[in-house]
Amino acid sequence: MKNMAVDVLIVEDDIWLSEQFERTLSKAGYVTRRAFEGHTAMDLIDELKPQVVLLDMLLTGSTAVTLMHELQSYKDTGDIPIILCTNLASLIRLDDVSDYGVRRIIDKTTMHPDDIATAVRSVLL
Amino acid sequence: MREGRLTKNAASEPFGGDTAAFLMAAHELKSPLALIRQLAFALDAGQLTSGEQDRIAQQIILTSERALRLTTDLTTSSRQDTLFDLEPLNPVTLCEDVAHELTPLFTAQDKKIEVISRTKPPLVVGNRDLLRRILLNFGDNALHYSSADHPVSLAVQATGDKVRVGVRDYGPAVTPDMWQVLQERLHAHTAQPVSGRPQSSGLGLYIADQFARMMSGEIGAIRHRDGATFYVDMTASRQLSFL
Repeated sequence: MKNMAVDVLIVEDDIWLSEQFERTLSKAGYVTRRAFEGHTAMDLIDELKPQVVLLDMLLTGSTAVTLMHELQSYKDTGDIPIILCTNLASLIRLDDVSDYGVRRIIDKTTMHPDDIATAVRSVLL
Repeated sequence: MREGRLTKNAASEPFGGDTAAFLMAAHELKSPLALIRQLAFALDAGQLTSGEQDRIAQQIILTSERALRLTTDLTTSSRQDTLFDLEPLNPVTLCEDVAHELTPLFTAQDKKIEVISRTKPPLVVGNRDLLRRILLNFGDNALHYSSADHPVSLAVQATGDKVRVGVRDYGPAVTPDMWQVLQERLHAHTAQPVSGRPQSSGLGLYIADQFARMMSGEIGAIRHRDGATFYVDMTASRQLSFL
């Protein structure tokens, strides 16, 4: 299967929305795992070393900023590209978060499901 | 275990004219609407089994109902000058109604909600609809933070001339940092609504606080090592319970 080796970690605390993201990415050929809160996400990133992290901004237990700070503080996770997928997209400038490894910002309120796969593809180019 | 009353002067101000609350309402409605949109896209794309179609349709219904609850809450909170009828209420019965109403939403996420039953429940003086809406808000909040292993529980406890009606979840604890932020906000007396946990803008608590005040009640939170309890303290009714 195309892109079989690619792991995308979906960090999204809405279970139903994360299911949709997983469905879309699986259809596009990506192997995914899901985390519903920040601490589990960090553990899975350590364990799986995913090639991309799809990250919601507001999470249970912590915020995306806390997670991104932690990722940046370790050599082996600092280079993992992050795609922010959030309802707060209109309030965040990519330039302000690019130092945290954020490569794309997707607005949940306007996105088409395929935008997720497109964004993953683009950061892996 | 840490406890704090969610009191603030600003919460008793009318919703109208409160820009922060207005923005929060808009933000809070984004989540269910964005989810419904994605679920509709999934249905529209096809390639689903009939079981998946049914499941997604059910998710759309439940998410719509959640969003509608919020809009009704906002409408009700704008009527703060209105006098709401207060009467003796059995809070355990009310908890059972709330648990019944939320059960489909919990079940759809493989979670459970239960009521701790009491043989002689203390009565409270309150408005049935307002108290129900407070508990629905606490229940919605608990759903988000509870784990599938342990049911969210609603419980009633008499504390002197007050009766505490609480919703306990077992999930990630409120971190000390977040608790500090919560406490600072509680005592800030600004229009900024409280937010016990980062995921939410805190609108549910803001509304619950307003509704509690309409009944001379007070909301609060207790931080546990394995979750949290959000509660409302209501005036105890002196009328004897014959239930």
